Amino acid sequence: MSETETVTQSYKPRIVALVCNWCTYTAADLAGTSRLSYPAEIRMIRLMCTGMIDQKYILKAFLDGADGVFIGGCHPGDCHYLDGNLKAERRIGGTRNLIEQFGFDPDRLKLQWIGASEGPEFQHHMTEFVERIAAMGPSQVRDRMIL
Amino acid sequence: MTMYTVNLAGDTASTTATRLLKDLLDQAVADAVLVSAENPWSRLPMPTVFTDSANMDRVVPLAPSAAVSYARQASLLVREPLDKTVALVLKPCEVRAFIELAKLNQCSLDHAILVSMDCPGRLENKDYLALAAEKQNLGEAFPSDLSFQEKLTATCLSCNAFIPDSADLQFCVTGMDGQLGVKAGTAKGQDIAARLNLSKIEEPRGRAEALSQLAEKRKQRKTVLFEETASTLKSVEGFQTYISRCINCYNCRAACPVCYCRECVFLTDVFAYPPDMILERAKRRGQVKMPMDTTMFHMTRLSHIAHACVGCGQCTSVCPSDIPVADLFRTVAEKTQSYFGYMPGRDVLEPIPQLAAKKGQRQE
Repeated sequence: MSETETVTQSYKPRIVALVCNWCTYTAADLAGTSRLSYPAEIRMIRLMCTGMIDQKYILKAFLDGADGVFIGGCHPGDCHYLDGNLKAERRIGGTRNLIEQFGFDPDRLKLQWIGASEGPEFQHHMTEFVERIAAMGPSQVRDRMIL
Repeated sequence: MTMYTVNLAGDTASTTATRLLKDLLDQAVADAVLVSAENPWSRLPMPTVFTDSANMDRVVPLAPSAAVSYARQASLLVREPLDKTVALVLKPCEVRAFIELAKLNQCSLDHAILVSMDCPGRLENKDYLALAAEKQNLGEAFPSDLSFQEKLTATCLSCNAFIPDSADLQFCVTGMDGQLGVKAGTAKGQDIAARLNLSKIEEPRGRAEALSQLAEKRKQRKTVLFEETASTLKSVEGFQTYISRCINCYNCRAACPVCYCRECVFLTDVFAYPPDMILERAKRRGQVKMPMDTTMFHMTRLSHIAHACVGCGQCTSVCPSDIPVADLFRTVAEKTQSYFGYMPGRDVLEPIPQLAAKKGQRQE
């Protein structure tokens, strides 16, 4: 089993996107109604707020073989619950620090603020993230037995 | 920090410290004391509560033992408002853990007097009992007979955080020229020292040197340990190998003083998979090792408590598979705590980093 696979046509990144209901999910909706397409490699999960993201959701995504995890939330100051996104920023920063210690590239975990009206930005960030993850190659956990 | 003194006058540091604890009760400074004590059935000291100094014959406050983390037991005594004051005699790591529990609303500092000491380190329970069979007064050995320190736990041997800066009262035994020093780390502590009529002294000159030499030795050992552990963890193979003997007994979680959830998520339906799901996972991945989610458990626990890990080592002590859990947690905790600029147990008013909604620390 080789340590890294070269990026081939057959490698399709598997990305889990945890997005907040009020801002990023609404932006995704807007991108949809505006007919702005974004890569199908993204699996989106709607949450009420990025502040409710327990670090274990991110860990589970990676341990189950996700190549990248994208977190989308409201801009600071705009959180529907006032400071949930600020807590998320600290928590996700800590998670990046954590996964790096286990050999994961922390750039596989991205936190991005996307406002409800930002349909085009949503398309842009999703596309860019998928391209970046595709270039990084598949996760070292993929197809490997994890205890 | 003000230092006071009590002359040993032929007694050991241990019996002098015990006398001070008895004075806390006799002079109504405290209504109860939680302290390490032997009992008629066991030479292994246990956290014991006393309300009457007459019963405190077998108290060994400086014993190199912590059969269990005293922090959790201490928190049970002050977890509701009460009209009494309780003196809690804890090791430095236990003081830090207690303060972290207070931040998590598991207990309160209001009615607690935190008493600690230059930490002697501790032996594993079975090592303590074996040594106690040879040395009749092992509980009182510190600091006159330091030979037990060769057998300290791996965690204690690499611990350089053995001075309890946050305690109200600290028993100073190292480098004290035959006296027992008492440092008052807080206003509460100074008030108590005054009530006990302790006389002030200058800190003996040899003490700082003795402490810093020991700290340096321990720090070197810690640095090597953390580097070795970190390099093992830095790959999928490394991490899997490290925890491969784990049987998901969750002893480490139960023993951890800062793992405080009454209902751990790993015992809930979240991780109680229906058979179909297990078989599906086996089909997709080729095989599933049971019990499941071992890696997930340790990584989750790390993500939840690494900021608060006080390095007590109880997790390694209780692991039935002899996994050095404490080395894993301490190594990761140092990086997490450095990332957040956080030190657990430093100050009860310092907010838990993930909940401190400051805009200062932005992600790069």
